[in-house]
Amino acid sequence: MFIHDLNLAFRSLRRNPVLSALMIAAIAVGIAASMISITLYHARAGHPIPWKDDKLFAVTLDIRDDEPPRSFERHPEYPPFQVTYQDARELYKSDIPVHSVVMFRSGQVVTPQNKGIKPFGVSTRVTTADFFTMFDVPFLYGGGWPRSDDDAPGPVVVLSRFINEKIFGGINSVGRQVVLDGRSYRVVGVMAAWMPRPKYYDLNGWGGWEIPEEVFIPYGWGRALKLSPHGNTSCVRRNAKIDGNDTLFTQECVWLQYWIEVRNLADRDRYQAFVDNYANEQRKHGRFPRKNNNRVVNVPTWLAMWDVVGDDSRTQLALGFIFLAVCILNTLGLMLAKFLTAAPISGLRRALGARRADIIRQHILEVIVVGLLGGAVGMLLTLGGLGCLKVLMFSGRLAHSNNPDRIALIQSFVHMDIPVMLAAIGLSLLAGVLAGLYPAWRIGRLAPATFLKTQ
Amino acid sequence: MEIRALLSALWRNKTGPLLVAAQVALTLAVVVNMAYIVRQKLEDAGKPTGLDLENIFWISVEANSPDYNFAAAVKADLAYLNALPGVVAASTSNNVPQTFNSSDLPFAADPQTLLNPNGGVFGVLYYGTDRLIDALGLKLVAGRQFSPGVVMPPAASFDASIARWAPEVIVTRAFADKVFPKGDALGKTVYTGLINKSAVIVGIVDQMRANPLPAQYEQFATQIVILPIIAPGPNARYIVRTKPGRRDALMAEVDKNFADLQPGRFIDRLEGLDRTAEDARQGYRATAIILSVATCFVVIVTIVGIVGLAAFSVASRTKQLGTRRAIGARRYHILRYFLVENWIITTGGVVLGCLLALAAGVQLSRMYQIPQWPLFYLVGGVLMLWVVGLLAVLLPALRAASISPAVATRTV
Repeated sequence: MFIHDLNLAFRSLRRNPVLSALMIAAIAVGIAASMISITLYHARAGHPIPWKDDKLFAVTLDIRDDEPPRSFERHPEYPPFQVTYQDARELYKSDIPVHSVVMFRSGQVVTPQNKGIKPFGVSTRVTTADFFTMFDVPFLYGGGWPRSDDDAPGPVVVLSRFINEKIFGGINSVGRQVVLDGRSYRVVGVMAAWMPRPKYYDLNGWGGWEIPEEVFIPYGWGRALKLSPHGNTSCVRRNAKIDGNDTLFTQECVWLQYWIEVRNLADRDRYQAFVDNYANEQRKHGRFPRKNNNRVVNVPTWLAMWDVVGDDSRTQLALGFIFLAVCILNTLGLMLAKFLTAAPISGLRRALGARRADIIRQHILEVIVVGLLGGAVGMLLTLGGLGCLKVLMFSGRLAHSNNPDRIALIQSFVHMDIPVMLAAIGLSLLAGVLAGLYPAWRIGRLAPATFLKTQ
Repeated sequence: MEIRALLSALWRNKTGPLLVAAQVALTLAVVVNMAYIVRQKLEDAGKPTGLDLENIFWISVEANSPDYNFAAAVKADLAYLNALPGVVAASTSNNVPQTFNSSDLPFAADPQTLLNPNGGVFGVLYYGTDRLIDALGLKLVAGRQFSPGVVMPPAASFDASIARWAPEVIVTRAFADKVFPKGDALGKTVYTGLINKSAVIVGIVDQMRANPLPAQYEQFATQIVILPIIAPGPNARYIVRTKPGRRDALMAEVDKNFADLQPGRFIDRLEGLDRTAEDARQGYRATAIILSVATCFVVIVTIVGIVGLAAFSVASRTKQLGTRRAIGARRYHILRYFLVENWIITTGGVVLGCLLALAAGVQLSRMYQIPQWPLFYLVGGVLMLWVVGLLAVLLPALRAASISPAVATRTV
């Protein structure tokens, strides 16, 4: 029966090749448009560390002056997304979290011992020791450093896989020395490939669409070496004074990222109370002029607050679905026209004993065939379109990067993964059914006699 | 005209026309809003920079030795670069224009303003030597350039150099007009928040765009304060402007020789400024292209829908049309019938589409923080869909008009 229906469906499609091709093309284009937009959106809407939603929290304090919002601020209701040096120091004393991390991004120069390799610049994360356990950083060799190396900073360094390959050819380099800005550090760990997308732990630089840093050194080096932060630095209060004397470490400037990991949500609430209490104490000394607006938020909230997905992705997603809707309407119209043209045949089949259900089933099968063919062509169009996008969007920046992590990040924007592919198949079926259900029903409803009469 | 007959025929077979009208409605909403967003993006991408992009390149030099003598190296580097044949001017700079790096401070004509909440005007800071204006190819419209004697030597750190400040500044016209709305900025003293310093405006440049920020952040792109300060080391950025046509050769020469002029350093990056600017705008262009290609496809699909419906309606009415011709209708009557029928369908879609377009427009303007599109986008979209609709139906309508009256006499 099924084979018979399938046969009829293909026959029917061949009977009117132009119309059939148009329908398949319309579905294909609609599927491709929505698939491409879903891929672009999906690449940006990822959640990098879902298993720590009730443990991992970003901490921000509202130390701003009590003044009206500025015109360019998109979310004046949020506190600044980074904290000051002195607040970080005080928060770090709390023993509510199991891990606390205060950190910033900087840059240094590596001078390899091997004379064959020229010196080169690297991005450096200057961080407290818990970074690696808190963000579940995988290691190839070794691991992080002990907390005792943070304050009076120990000359230790963790390398990314790429840098370890560049300097040491990928061997287990734990115990070897690396020269950063002319100072020697001992390698304690080499990270395995690690690319949280987005780079939620620090949204500086392309709003979180950056690769992790290439080397990691203890937090104490930040002040000891006066490393400059490579990211947003904002002296948020009117009484902040830049006088050339350790501004970042003494003034009301926000430039540090602060994260905590707690055991459970009850500890999160305790921590929020601790932070608010800290702000209340500070208020007595003339700081924190606003009402308490300190946030201790988990990763999904954090990503939503700072809109890492971006307006363009959202617009593209909406456009993709409207596009699909137009295509479905289009196919619906064409399908209806096609079925009605072929109505006399159905009439004949009904007259010869086919039941209404048979007619409807046969037409629905034809619709599904169109949907699947459209989906298959659409998949090819999607791959082609994503290929074009890759060339279009990233040729410039890809061209002068030899860092495989950066290339991988950029490619991940146009990467179609299994869930998206399954969604494509589902969508094409849905599109076919949506476009064909009404025409099939309508054709099944027609009385056979009407068509037999005119013959 | 047979409007009533036409309407009643439409009503009898309303599913197809309704589908086409719905497509037209969605298409109108898409076309109007996407045209606006695309224009917005292209505007962001195409804003004039005021810089001589094609003849400028920049060098980023990083030190890798603790005993690198930055102050001496800068002096020697500037002398070398400015003496190269073919170089118009070379200067250090704290930031490379057309990247997203920038530093800014609040400024005001009256220091009291800076004490008010959110008082003052943001100015993006650029540090350079007396040659920076020439090295960037900026057009000085009032006042003078810095004299070589006033250029401050490099300080120990960035905040130390900000805190030390400089006695005079050159500003962009956008900055001057914002701080001194009466247009008399030249020679006036401008005060700065956070560091509590002041400086005299000695020159005004016509236009400079520091970075390709979107329109809502205009103040952080065009309000610029240029200071005669050599940015602190040990890493340095040099901006070099060459005579037309000489840039590529000079870039190659500098790439080969420059790093080794001083021991203990290397060239981190060396790039044409036009390339830098292009890279920074890539995102806008890409979005504009994606959205416009998708929008074109939506229009094409809708055209296919209109043609398909009209062709079906002609095919299924062949006999009826033949009969009409046989009893006296002229070709042009048939043509007109289909054009009017299509126009009514399109117009129905357009009416609904206007509402959809408006709803989407409100949403987008809130999202992108841009004003609602002006009315002519909607008017343009409506006109376009009318024309597209009529053109799409023309072919099937002509086919209908060419049906021979003899068809009426056939039985099938």
